[in-house]
Amino acid sequence: MKFNTVVMGGGLTGLTCGIALAKAGQRVAVVATGQSSLLFASGSLDLLGYDAQGAPVANPVEAIKTLPESHPYNKVGDVEALAAEAQALLAEAGVKTTGQATANHNRLTPIGAVKPTWLSLDGYLTIDGDKLPYNKVALMNVIGYLDFPTKFIADGLRQMGADVEIKPITLPELNEARKSPTEMRATNIAKVLGNEDIVLRLAAEINAKAGDAEAILLPAVLGIKEDVLAQLLKKQVSKPMHYVATIPPSVPGARMQALLRKRFEALGGTFLNGDKVVAGELAGDTLKSVETEKLVGTKLEAENYVLATGSFMGRGLVSDYEKVYEPVFGLDVDYIAERPEWTHDNVFEAQPYMEFGVKTDAQLHVMKDGNVINNVYAAGQVLSGNNKVKLASGEGVDMLTALAVAKNILK
Amino acid sequence: MADEMQLNNISENNFEQCLKCSICTAYCPVSGVSPLYPGPKQSGPDGERYRLKDPKFFNEALKMCLNCKRCEVACPNGVNVGDIIQKARMKYYTGKPKLRDMMLANTDFVGSMATIVAPIANFALGLGVSKAVMDTVMAIDKHRTFPSYAATKFESWFKKHAAAEQDKYSKHVSFFHGCYVNYNYPQLGKDLVKVMNACGYGVHLLDKEKCCGTALIANGLYGQAKKQGETNMESMRQAIAKGRTVVTTSSTCTFTMRDEYHHLLDMETGDVREHLTLATRFLFQLIDEGKLKLAFRDDYKKRVAYHTACHMERMGWVVYSTQLLKMIPGLDLVMLDSQCCGISGTYGFKKENYETSQKIGEPLFKAIAEANVEAVSTDCETCKWQIEMSTGVPVLNPISIIADALDVEKTIELNKNRIIVLRN
Ligand code: SF4
Ligand code: SF4
Repeated sequence: MKFNTVVMGGGLTGLTCGIALAKAGQRVAVVATGQSSLLFASGSLDLLGYDAQGAPVANPVEAIKTLPESHPYNKVGDVEALAAEAQALLAEAGVKTTGQATANHNRLTPIGAVKPTWLSLDGYLTIDGDKLPYNKVALMNVIGYLDFPTKFIADGLRQMGADVEIKPITLPELNEARKSPTEMRATNIAKVLGNEDIVLRLAAEINAKAGDAEAILLPAVLGIKEDVLAQLLKKQVSKPMHYVATIPPSVPGARMQALLRKRFEALGGTFLNGDKVVAGELAGDTLKSVETEKLVGTKLEAENYVLATGSFMGRGLVSDYEKVYEPVFGLDVDYIAERPEWTHDNVFEAQPYMEFGVKTDAQLHVMKDGNVINNVYAAGQVLSGNNKVKLASGEGVDMLTALAVAKNILK
Repeated sequence: MADEMQLNNISENNFEQCLKCSICTAYCPVSGVSPLYPGPKQSGPDGERYRLKDPKFFNEALKMCLNCKRCEVACPNGVNVGDIIQKARMKYYTGKPKLRDMMLANTDFVGSMATIVAPIANFALGLGVSKAVMDTVMAIDKHRTFPSYAATKFESWFKKHAAAEQDKYSKHVSFFHGCYVNYNYPQLGKDLVKVMNACGYGVHLLDKEKCCGTALIANGLYGQAKKQGETNMESMRQAIAKGRTVVTTSSTCTFTMRDEYHHLLDMETGDVREHLTLATRFLFQLIDEGKLKLAFRDDYKKRVAYHTACHMERMGWVVYSTQLLKMIPGLDLVMLDSQCCGISGTYGFKKENYETSQKIGEPLFKAIAEANVEAVSTDCETCKWQIEMSTGVPVLNPISIIADALDVEKTIELNKNRIIVLRN
């Protein structure tokens, strides 16, 4: 099977790259192993939340200039322009966001902490500085839904000076769903709240319980495939209403995954779901073809290849007792040889292993045995030099390196 | 030492690899529609921990699993969630299958009986009274339209009208037609013969073909499933020994024989697996390798939506059928979101499952209605029943579309020339 580019990995990175290339007229295949880390998404996208010293960042574009040379942002070119492109790409796929690359805003985490971020999905609670735009809010939650610790969140809100009342809400269908208590997860609740009629009744329930609060906060449990119903609810509720991130599985994450895939396929892209690249045929410094687990006997041939397989969780990197390696091609990986150095005893410290990843040159080409492979690029969390937890830089690195790779391929 | 230790830590279905993310639950068609179903994570890797300690933790609700394997496709960690659940049902469920389940499961037997008396069977299956009897006595839901039975079985047609000509071809395949082609829709079998013959391949039936057993497995008749499986494997081995690939037109039969025989019924299939394939994959691979060319009619025009059957998704073969269809110049192909139609073989026929089944399929039916297409294409026959019954839109196997769009004369001509070119 012949393509212009084969992208390995179907998460935010792989789909961003795939969409950019397909939009430029390329024939692209994305090979996706299971659902991606988007299912853990918060509903906000980070560019750079903290600098290398751990201080909160106000202007990511400026602060990125201070990152050490080894950070992948140093290989993407014009950060501000690419960030704008990334936001536009999301919007074209139906993922509307607010925020800008030159000024972070704050988001509320599922445990009530406040963190700087770049973009938040439309309808989400965003906070400027450290004060809520309301004096009194009603924090509502679906009875039986445990992945939304309301007490923690209320504490966080109160620290910002707001008066908070916690209000449980329910509907007969939601009560029925509680028969399987372990399945009261955000994504299943979204399935129950899957039609217009029930959303209208939910709005009535919310309106009835709102009391004298100025605004309503609700866990992000609506709209697993598109956000029509989440918007409808917002319209039907008589007061300002905002969604707050939940503990995964993430409904907005599942929605982003679905919308990005749809956009990619609408542009003519081929999405190989539930498959993975298991081998490749290297000839000198060029990758000739790759093979997947499921398409036995069919080689995928392309001019260029993109490795967007993620970090340890996505299995883009694997570790055993002695080493860290890239499992498909055995590419060169940056990591510390001494295993005890991989981690810090204090789990809240920055963990060194988070910066492990494949080595790349200035154009993001990967390397094997010290030689650059000239038609294979890496993007996203598989890259070395980025601690996305410490820097709050995950989605920015995913999307900006993906766009940079697409540009390098199209050059 | 390190490698060995990690290797020894992997269990049969990777269940210890589960990191409890619940992503499988998000993509399970039953979870969220049926509140009594504990969902893949709970029924699979979580429950397995308990069941290993004490079988009394087996929960009968596990029979609500459709065995669609969408949880396995979604799992980022390669846990075979669906297999864990099916294995648990095999191991711990002690109840006996009901008469109704045995009847639904024995597609072969019921099919043969029905074909003999096809007009009566079709009439009776469509009749209000007998539907009511089935509904109350047999617990087969009255809303179901039964697939009608053909007057002449595919096998009979083949022997009478096609078999004699097949030896004149220089290349050959064997065809596992399955119960559906044989009893309900011989036209698909005829289409397959037409396409293969045009491509220069003679088509042959297997020495002995039995139902693949997917319905038997779903209804707990494992012993019978294995017996039929052994017969099929034997016949396929004979065909393979003659150098023939075994082609099929059903994703579910293919998946059952390639994967479930080994995973669930512990059968040895390694020597057969790679010689057993879907006809669309067989054709695509030949074209991809430059060994075959297809020519299509200039006047063929159709707008068709492709529906991804669950087992097609699990095999990862959607791309073969869709890339093949995309070669037809007059075909406007729309990709539907990959989601379960709700029928899952015999599951949706059972009265107790009817509502769940239709609820699962609802988003798909809506998408089909909005797609504004003349037909839906899918590689699974039970999806065909469900979609036709629920939307009224005709459903065609990709092979039938190819057969319809194919310019037979030109295709024969093209491939003749190819042989000459290769010889020069
Ligand atoms: S089986 Fe897979 S998808 Fe399900 S909870 Fe475990 S790791 Fe997550
Ligand atoms: S096989 Fe299908 S129905 Fe069964 S648990 Fe998995 S996703 Fe759910």
